Order: sequence, then C-alpha cells, then structure tokens
Amino acid sequence: MQLFTQNTMWRRYPLQDRYDVIIIGAGVHGLSTAYYLAKQGVTNVAVIDKGYVGGGASGRNTAIIRANYLTREGIPFFRESLRLYEDLATELDFNLLFDQSGRLDLGHTDSAVFGLRMRTGMNRLLGVDSRMIGPSEIKELVPAIDLRKGKHLPVLAALYQSSAGVVRHDAVVWGYGRGADRLGVEIHPFTEVTGIVREGGRVVGVDVGGHRVRADVVMSATAGWSSNIARMVDLTLPLVTHPLQAFVTEPLKPFINKSISSANLHVYVYQSDRGEVVVGGGVDPYSSYSQRSTLHTLEELAANTLELFPFLRGVNVLRQWAGLCDMSPDYAPIMGEVDGLPGFMLSCGWGTWGFKAGPIGGFTMAELIATGRTPNLIKPFNLRRFAEGKLVNERAAAPAAAVH
Amino acid sequence: MANSDAGDRLSPARRLSAGERLPPGEHEFIDRDVVIGFEFEGRQVAAHEGDTIGSALAAAGVDVLSRSFKYHRPRGLLCVAGNCPNCLMKVDGIPNVRTCTMAVRAGMTVGRQNAWPSVDHDAGAVLDRMDRLLPVGFYYKVFHRPKLLWKIMRPVVRRIAGLGSVDTSSDGGPTYTHRNMHTDVAVVGGGPAGMAAALAAAAAGLDVTLIDDQPVLGGHLLYDATRYTGINGTGDGTGQEIAETLRKRVAEQDGIQVLSGATAFGFYQGNLIAVHHGYEAVQLRAGQVVIATGAIEVPMQFENNDRPGVMLASGALRLARLYGVSPGKRAVVATTDDSGYSTALGLLDVGIAVEAVIDMREEPGASEAADAVRTRGVEVLAGHRVVSTSGTKRVSRVTVVAPDSSERNIKCDLVCMAGVRQPVTGLLLQQPGAVVEYDEQFGESVPAQLPGGVHVAGDITGFHDLGITLAQGAATGRQAAGIDPEGASQLDAIERDYRAGQQPPGAFTGRDGRSAKKEFICVCEDVSSKDIDVAVGEGFNDIQTLKRYTTATMGPCQGKMCHRAFVEAAARRTGQSIVATGRTTARPPAQGVPLGALAGPGHMPRKRTALDGLHRAAGAEMVELGPWLRAHNYGSPQEEALAVRERVGIIDVSTLGKLDVRGPDAGALLDRVYTHRFSNLREGRIRYGLLVGENGAIMDDGTVTRLAEDHFFVTTTTGNVDAIEDWFNWWLAGTGMEVFVTNVTSSYAAINVAGPRARATLVKLTDVDLSTDALGYMRSARGMVAGVPCIFLRIGFVGETGWELHFPSEYAEHMWRALMEAGAEFDIAPFGLEAQRILRLEKGHIIVSQDTDAVTDPLDAGMRWAVRFDKPDFIGRGGLVANRARPPEEKQKLVGFVMHDRFVPEDGQPVVEDGEPVGRVTSSRLSPTLKKGFGLAWVPEKHAYEGAEIFIRSGQTDSPAVVTMKPVYDPDGLRLRE
Repeated sequence: MQLFTQNTMWRRYPLQDRYDVIIIGAGVHGLSTAYYLAKQGVTNVAVIDKGYVGGGASGRNTAIIRANYLTREGIPFFRESLRLYEDLATELDFNLLFDQSGRLDLGHTDSAVFGLRMRTGMNRLLGVDSRMIGPSEIKELVPAIDLRKGKHLPVLAALYQSSAGVVRHDAVVWGYGRGADRLGVEIHPFTEVTGIVREGGRVVGVDVGGHRVRADVVMSATAGWSSNIARMVDLTLPLVTHPLQAFVTEPLKPFINKSISSANLHVYVYQSDRGEVVVGGGVDPYSSYSQRSTLHTLEELAANTLELFPFLRGVNVLRQWAGLCDMSPDYAPIMGEVDGLPGFMLSCGWGTWGFKAGPIGGFTMAELIATGRTPNLIKPFNLRRFAEGKLVNERAAAPAAAVH
Repeated sequence: MANSDAGDRLSPARRLSAGERLPPGEHEFIDRDVVIGFEFEGRQVAAHEGDTIGSALAAAGVDVLSRSFKYHRPRGLLCVAGNCPNCLMKVDGIPNVRTCTMAVRAGMTVGRQNAWPSVDHDAGAVLDRMDRLLPVGFYYKVFHRPKLLWKIMRPVVRRIAGLGSVDTSSDGGPTYTHRNMHTDVAVVGGGPAGMAAALAAAAAGLDVTLIDDQPVLGGHLLYDATRYTGINGTGDGTGQEIAETLRKRVAEQDGIQVLSGATAFGFYQGNLIAVHHGYEAVQLRAGQVVIATGAIEVPMQFENNDRPGVMLASGALRLARLYGVSPGKRAVVATTDDSGYSTALGLLDVGIAVEAVIDMREEPGASEAADAVRTRGVEVLAGHRVVSTSGTKRVSRVTVVAPDSSERNIKCDLVCMAGVRQPVTGLLLQQPGAVVEYDEQFGESVPAQLPGGVHVAGDITGFHDLGITLAQGAATGRQAAGIDPEGASQLDAIERDYRAGQQPPGAFTGRDGRSAKKEFICVCEDVSSKDIDVAVGEGFNDIQTLKRYTTATMGPCQGKMCHRAFVEAAARRTGQSIVATGRTTARPPAQGVPLGALAGPGHMPRKRTALDGLHRAAGAEMVELGPWLRAHNYGSPQEEALAVRERVGIIDVSTLGKLDVRGPDAGALLDRVYTHRFSNLREGRIRYGLLVGENGAIMDDGTVTRLAEDHFFVTTTTGNVDAIEDWFNWWLAGTGMEVFVTNVTSSYAAINVAGPRARATLVKLTDVDLSTDALGYMRSARGMVAGVPCIFLRIGFVGETGWELHFPSEYAEHMWRALMEAGAEFDIAPFGLEAQRILRLEKGHIIVSQDTDAVTDPLDAGMRWAVRFDKPDFIGRGGLVANRARPPEEKQKLVGFVMHDRFVPEDGQPVVEDGEPVGRVTSSRLSPTLKKGFGLAWVPEKHAYEGAEIFIRSGQTDSPAVVTMKPVYDPDGLRLRE
C-alpha cells in the first residue's frame, strides 16, 4: 500500500524555442508568478534558473512572514501576502509548516519605541493586527526573554503582530514549483540566461548559451542578481546588493514560540519546528555578490542574541550562511513594466523583505502580465518612482535593513 | 568513590573501581591512580583522570547514550572523536555536549536527552515502528488539511523535534574571552603530517602555530600500535612511539606554539582562522596555512548500521587504547581495505575476541597484518558484505552475504567498520579557491586546487600511508617557508608508487546498493538510503535540493559522518557520476562552536560624557541615545523647562558630534556637502547646517561656525558623527581639495547655558563681551570662562538667550560647578534631554530622525530657508529639484499642531481623514507655555495652513487639533535675540 504520493515535484523538459512568458529566476517570486499565471490560463511559461530551484535568497532567508510595515503602500501589500500565505498550504496541497504564532519587534530606546508606535498606528488603520505591548506582556508571551532592568538596551516595549509567523521557505518554493508544473509550466534549473534579446526596442526573448528562446514577455525575478540581468538590456537599476548573514544552532527542545526582532540589537531570533534557533541580522555594511560569511558578523549576532537569551551561551552554532539582498533606496520593491522597454518586466528590490511578499508579488505580477493592467497594490512600486521622486520609505519597518 | 575536586589517589587494590578496564597500556590518556566522580542521571559514576564522559560511561556499562532525532532509536558510541551525534548529552545544564570528547570533571552533572521517560525506556521508540507513516518529507504531506489541524499538530511536532533542552533561567555558564594572534604559519591538525609541517616551517625560522583538537598531539597515531619500519626520519617503532618522537621534537623546536584541545572552526577571508579553545576564542591571522586535518572513518551502509555496538574501527581502538575501556567482547571487523586487519590485531592485542574479518573486496588483503590475523586463527571472509545487524539495545549478531548470495549470521557484540574514509575538508573548503574533487582510485574526494598560501598534507590528500604523510608534511612546511622543496619530485615519485600498489577499495554498501529503510546514511537526521531513493523519485535529483528535502548532512555533525555516503547514494539513485553529482556547500563553523565563544565577554561599548558622575550625583535618570548615555531628567522635565523659560538652565550637550574642518578649501567642501552656503560665511558667524543624501532626504543637521578664514567648527547630531565624518571624507576623496577633517567629539565637552538670566550668570565667569551688540544671535567668540578656554556659540535651540560653550573636556566638572555656583542666585537648574525636547518643540525645531525619516525632503519640512539652489552643485541637489516638481496633492508638510486641551497624543500616532491614515505625529508633548498638548506632525499639503483642523487617532478615538505654522513659543524669535 502506498500511504504517500510520490509524484515527481516538477518534470524535466527540453528547452523549447518559444514561450509566451519567460521568467528568469526559480525562487519564490519567479515560481509564484508562474503559478498564478498558469491559474489565469497563461500556461506556456518557462521558469529558468542558473542554479537549483530556490537556491538564491529564497533558500537563504529566514522565512519570517509579517505585515507590520510602515507605509500606506507597504502595509496593504504585505497584508495581502500574509492572507495568501494563510491558505497557501491548502491551495498547493503541501504543508508549508506555516504557523502564525506571532512576532514581536522589540524597542530598547525611546526612538525605537517611537518607530514601533508609528507602525502600530498605521497597521491598525490598514487592517493589520498590530499592537504595542509592555514588558509584562512581553514576558508572558516570551517567558524565556531576559528583561532584567539596568542592563544595556533594556526592553521598553514591543510591537506585537499576533498573525505573523514563520514558514518553511523551501516548502513554499517547492509547493509553487509543483503547483506550476501541474498546470503546465516548465521549470528549467541549471540553465543560465546569457543574454536578453531585443528587436525594435522590444524585448523578444533570451539567449541560453547558443540557444535563442523567444517570448512575448521576459520577467526578471533574480533578486540579488537583478542588476546583472538588467544590464543585459542596458538598464541601470537603483539597487545595491548587500550580503545578509544568518546562523542556526543545534536543535533544542522548544523554548520560544514567537519570532523576536530587535532593531537596536540588529538581530532577530526564532526557533524552527526542528528545534534549531534561527538568528539573522542586519545586512552587511558593504556591497558584495559574495555569499561567503564572516566571523565578525557571526560574533556580533551571537553577542546580540545572548543579550536577549543569555542561557544560550553554551549552545553550539551549527552553520552560518549569507544571502544576497538587492537593497533599494526606499526599502520597497521595484515591480512592473519598465518605461521604454516593452516586453520586459521587473520584480526586484526585494532586499530583506522579499520572501514575505512571495505570494502577493507573484499574484500581482501574474495579473499584470496576463491582463496588461497594473494592479493598484503594486502601482506605487514601479521603477519610475525614482525619476518622479515618489519614494515609498519603508526603512523604519525593515529592521534587518536599517543598519545599511 | 570520590566526589571532590581533587580526586582520590588510590591504592593499587582499588584501581579498577572506575568501571571495568582493560590492562594498562603505555600510551593511554587516563591516570589509573586517580578516580574522580560525577553524577549521571542521579547516580554516581567513577572515572579516571583523563577519561571523557563517554569513556567513563562505557566503562560503567552504559551502552545507549542517546535517542535518535526522528525514530528515537537507541544510539551508542560510534566515533569517540567528537564528530558524530550519538553521545550528545546535557552536561552541567548545557545541552548537546559531545560527551565522547568532553573530559570528566569532578562533580559534573550529566544526563541523556531527547527521550521520555528515559533513554533506556523511551516511549518515542514507537516511532521506529511507524516508519511507513513517516517517510522522508512526510511533514510536507500531512497535517495541512483542514487548516486547523496544523495548529494542533505543530506543538506536537515541535515537542518531538529538538535534541537537548535549555534551562531558560540559567545564565548559560561561564563567559568566554577573546584573543587575537598572528603567526607566520598556522598548521591545523596535530597528527604526523601537521607535526612534520610545523617542524619543517619552524626549522626554517618561521613562527608557527599548531592547532590540534585532541588533548595530546599525535592524531591517529595515538591509538595506532602497528609497527612501522623504514620510515624516513623517525626510526622504527609503533605508531604510538612515532607520535611520541614527533611530539618531543615539536616541544624542543623553537618557534612552535601549540594549541591543544583547540578546534579551528572557521577559515575566513585573509587567512583568518577562528579557533575555539576552552573558554577562549582565538582569532588567528596567518601568513600561510597548512591544513592537515586528516581523514575520518565514516560508517558503512547496511541495515541497522546504527545499533549500539556498531562502531567505527577507529572509535573502538580509541576507546580501548586511550581509555582502557573494552568496546565489546566479541567483535566482527568489516573492512574495505587492509586497515581492518590492523584493527583486528589491535582488538586481539587487548584481549577482545575477533569472530571474523569481513573483507569486502573481491581479493582479500595480502598485507603483513592480514597474514598475522589469519595466523592468529581469525576467519577471513573475502568478498562478503555485511547486510544487517540484529539486537535490541546492542548488536547481538551480524548477517553477512557471501559472493554466492548465501547468507550467514555471526554472533557478536561489536561490529567495527574499517577503511571507509572521508577526508576532513570542511575547514579547507570555507576558503574560496579551494576545490575538492573525487579521486576515482581512492574513492575519496580530495583537495584538487588550493588558494595561494594554503597547503595540504597527510590523510586529507587521500594517501593513507605514514611515510607519505610525513614526507608531505615536511614538504608543505618547507613550501610555507618559501623554500623550494628539493624533495618535491621525490614526493611525486613515492605518491606514484603508492598509487600503483593501491588495491581498489571495496564497496561499503549492503545488498548491492539496494536501499533499505533502516540503512542510515545520515545518523543525525535518521535519513536512510530508502529515503534518498524516495526523494530522488520525487524529483529532488540534484544534491542541493536533495539535501534540503531529506535534511541529510544538516544535523549536528554537518555531514562529517555522512557527506560521502550521501553523495554516493545520490549518484547511485540519479545514475549520475559522483563528480557530476557534486557536493553540498561547506559552511562555517567546521565544528559546532558555542554562542558564548563567539560572543566573547560581551562588551557593549557605551560612551559617557565627562559630566556623567555629576549627573548621577544630581539624581539624573540616564538613558541611552545612540552610543551615549545622557541625562534624561533630574526629576521633573516640566519644571526644568520652566526654569529655562523663566530663569536659567544648563544642559550637558557634550554628546554633540564635533568636527574640526580646516584648510584652504574647507568652505568649498562644506558648500558641496551641505545645502546651505558656507564659503561666504564671515569669521565669527554661525549658520545652521543641513545635510541631505543624494536623493535629497535629510541626513543630519547641526551648526557650522567659521572660526577663521580656513577653519570651521562643525557640530552634528549625537550618534551620527562617525557617519558624517565618513561622509565628508568620501566626498573629499579624489577631489584634490585641501581639507583636513578631524573628529574632536570626545576632546570637547559642551554645555548650553540658556534662559533670561543666562547672560547674568555667564558674565560673572568671563570677560568676553556678551552683549547682543558684540555677540549677537548666531555669532561666535573665543574666550575664557572660569579660567577655561571656550568657543562661545550663541544659538537658540531651546528658544532663549543662550550660549553653547565648547571647551576641553578635562575641565567639564570644573565648568559645570562654576556655572551652577554663578547661577545660584538666579536659581539656576540643570535640565535634561526631555526638557530640551519640550523646549525645542515649542520652537518648532526639528530633531533629525524623530521628525524626519529616510525620505524627508527639507522643503516639505518647511526648511526652504536652509537650501541654496543658487550655489554650484551640491550633494542631493538633483533629488531636491526632482521633488519640487511633484504635484502638491502627493506631498505632506511638517506642521505644528495644538490640541484643545491637555491631552497629549503619543509620538508616532497617525493623522486620519475619513478613517484613512494621511499623516502622522512625530513629536508631541505638553506645552509648559500653553498648558496644552502640542507637537509636530506630517499632514497633507492641503492642511498645511494656520488654523486647519486635523484629527489624530489614538486607540479608537480621533482627537481634533489645530494646525499652526509658527512656533508656539516666541513665534518671532525675539527672546533668543535679546
């Protein structure tokens, strides 16, 4: 008896000469866009990636899902993404290990608390269940946290979003990949786009080595490598790629059930369902395409983690890694068509906030590609905002980015 | 039995009281004369000095040391080298301690983990029989429908997962120290290769640091009793004797520093080696690095290959020879090369019966050791394979299959797996440029390319021969010293000879590589060969996604035990070659390292001003502001504010950033980085300075004072000065402008004296003419105050007549006391940060990053007056020009507002219109002047006029407020000009 289905996640195909849509990048944004495109009936789609499925930032982020942003543009966007996440396991028939056990953004100084209060006020007006809580409630929610007074950076208050949570990032990518595959999308890992083809001012396809593949629409969903892809069409993006580092400890029995972030300490912490303590920090202060990690950052992350949970001092770090963040000037994404370059679509500027936006990013990009109309949710995120001076300013809501 | 720190020295008659021991061996680690006691799950266990917890427990007859991660299978000693996950226990409150290498200390408390009610009788073991329900990745396929189910199941899954538990009320044990070291040559690995390399490099006059993770140098020779003859340069002897010879030479050689019991866990950019050494973490910078980390034995594949009693051959020998503990009574040795025969001899020598040697090669070994094994009557089964083991909590028999497929059971309580090795490349591969390739002949993945300055020697290279190891070690030591190795070609020759004489290794898989559910590839995560099959079948057919789906190599050992088997299993199942299958990425740390070691002593630097002691003595409440501690208040901010408005107050503003900017082009630099113009500022004048980023958004503000033609004194906000100093230098670099920027923040203390009686106070202490005619608003002077040379800045952040005095910080306490004394007759009062915030808010003066954010345009903030578009290009001009073109309906303006009563909305609350957020309060306080709530807020431009009504949301209610475009206090700025 076969208790569990053992179907192939995604099938292998030879690369054809023509598709309706080519998506560069098989991470969460590329695959969710493909999935929602196929759901809208656009199934002649190829997702092409130079490496393995989910090997970029999708496989390296720390998978915290929240919507407690700051701006009128950002909050509804991330709120809708969270809503999609809530039903995603059912939709994809794949347990994404998504939990909504809540998230605390700690404030240790007056100015940090001020920023949290600003976000809370905006969140509540825009339908996100954030509220400010004091030390006693923080202790109730996270009994393990060290709230002793008089120490460096005492915890004064926190923004608590109870519907925020953590997801198994690989599962999301695989689930979208499998869902897209079932609807007819082709996924081509280990296939590197070497050039983007233009004819008469229009993007008409890509080169994969010597193989020219034509398409009506080419979309780049390459996060940390977006600037390099954009350069293929002589486009300079206002992005700077920075590494961001994280580590996990050996697995422990559960002692925290929330994700906890501190912008003052440049650290965020949660415990995965496997028991590992996952710790991430701010983006590194220098720009780099290297995914190599550094001792200095590891030491800082460890020291700052111990400020919150001193009893972890004897617990071993198991592995450390770095991912790439394509930081935009206003800490908001860059999405949609590019003026003067028909046939080309961007989904980038995902910085440290991309994975949270995976579902809604794909959903809205798919709608744009399928209908030609830009959904209201992503209108503020078009590239032209930098020429028009209409920046979004999510800086205060991206603590991982704030040291950048 | 003793339970004291010192341990007891025993009479010979009581020597065997620390468990059952083998006869003493010459090179063992333990001191049989000393017995120490520790607590193990409520009972006392005796150990010898030199024992590890693992060896002491083995001597005490404890077979099951842990329960596995997924199936809760019993696990016992496997590697005895700190590599595998089997011996993880809680020691003195710290979970997941590798007890097989953790030395026993008297009185320590040890307990097994991840089992209920106990490791010996674990209810979780039922999971082992439920494997049909728990295939690889099962958790992705269950519990998600209906949605609620996962909410119920998740806590259950979380409780089952995880290994050790932490005591959240503990302080986590001792703090660690950090040390920085530098060395010409770092040698990682203290085996024969590492020692030979260190000796050669030191002999060439270099400074060498030798890092070894064992308590004693020697590597695998420590437990090797094989007799070697004809080895170049060491003399004949057993492995243990040769180790001792080398150890002596290392001790006698000048220039070698040895870090024993030290783990090199990181190999970072710039030959930075991170070492964990007891309660110390060392950052070692090395000119050259020799990686001699050896090769470790790894398990073979057969069903139930994880049962207690199934050990690595090296583990069994370690236990016997280093700790005098018998790993079993009746052994079966399975081997893929001749090393198994040495293992068998080693076991026989200490009195362990060897039932059979299973030589998995088609042609059995023909070495001296093989002959000796046969001579001693041990059955050798060539071409056989182990296919499974039986037993409950310890192996009781193995099943082997003959080349003709017939099966046979052999009773035993110990199975030694010999010959399957994995070069230890985890550290090496952290270095870009290091490439490891699969060597078909060796069947091992060995270094193929090395970055400059990095060398390898010994078993890591795939050559497992003591002569070659020593020759490689010496050669790399000479290479590191830059000496052309005359022996290089000689080394090539002996390596060629070795390859020519090398028999192909035997397969180390069970039934022809067929998979089985309990044939474990990854012991940390309970991933079996069957799991690999299933996952590949599901399409996870590249090594990276296969790893992430199965979690193989992702457990506590990080692939040390399983990487080779995992790659080979993946290759078999996908039909690809091992080379094409590739490897997973090696990431730091190469060995688990405690957070405490990384964190170090945890110094969080905090800056205190020179007046810190006086503030505390005056009862100030101190708060952190950026890196600084500042006095927030001295009891009542409202009263402090009134004192400034009505009398005179002083505040310590030493934390202001201070830059001394000099040179003929200083004015030109300031014109470029600030929005205002400074090149035309007259000497002795002050101008407000606003810095914007390239996008035109406000970065910082402060004052710029021209002290002389080529000399400016610049202040910045607290906490921002380092960034601003960098910013100045960044825009200076490459321009050819002649400017020197010096950060004098800590050299100068600063006190602001403000209020209607400020002048009367100050005149008592200075002969500088403070009259408005001589020193008007926004002017500066230099002179003495209370005998201290000062820069006077007449500015008015708090809105009263006042002077900011900057002076050498060593006089700060004297100055503060002098001012307090001079102002006593006017009832002078110190005021804190909070009072200053109230006062400046009444004047509508912004605080950067409180009232502005990362995109705030100064024009929208009402600071058009601070921006000069009529000067040459400056940083941010483009962004500012672009922003001016935006339509008004998209813009917000920073305005003042006043509530109708004493209600004070909190900073950060939204301004709403029809329930929609349209702006936000940035600062709000109770105005001592108006006795009403008031503040600054961003509102839509259409509301930015005097008297407009806005609504501020707090909780569920919207409170009305009136917009004001002028400061609520002294709107025309008369008082600060008096």
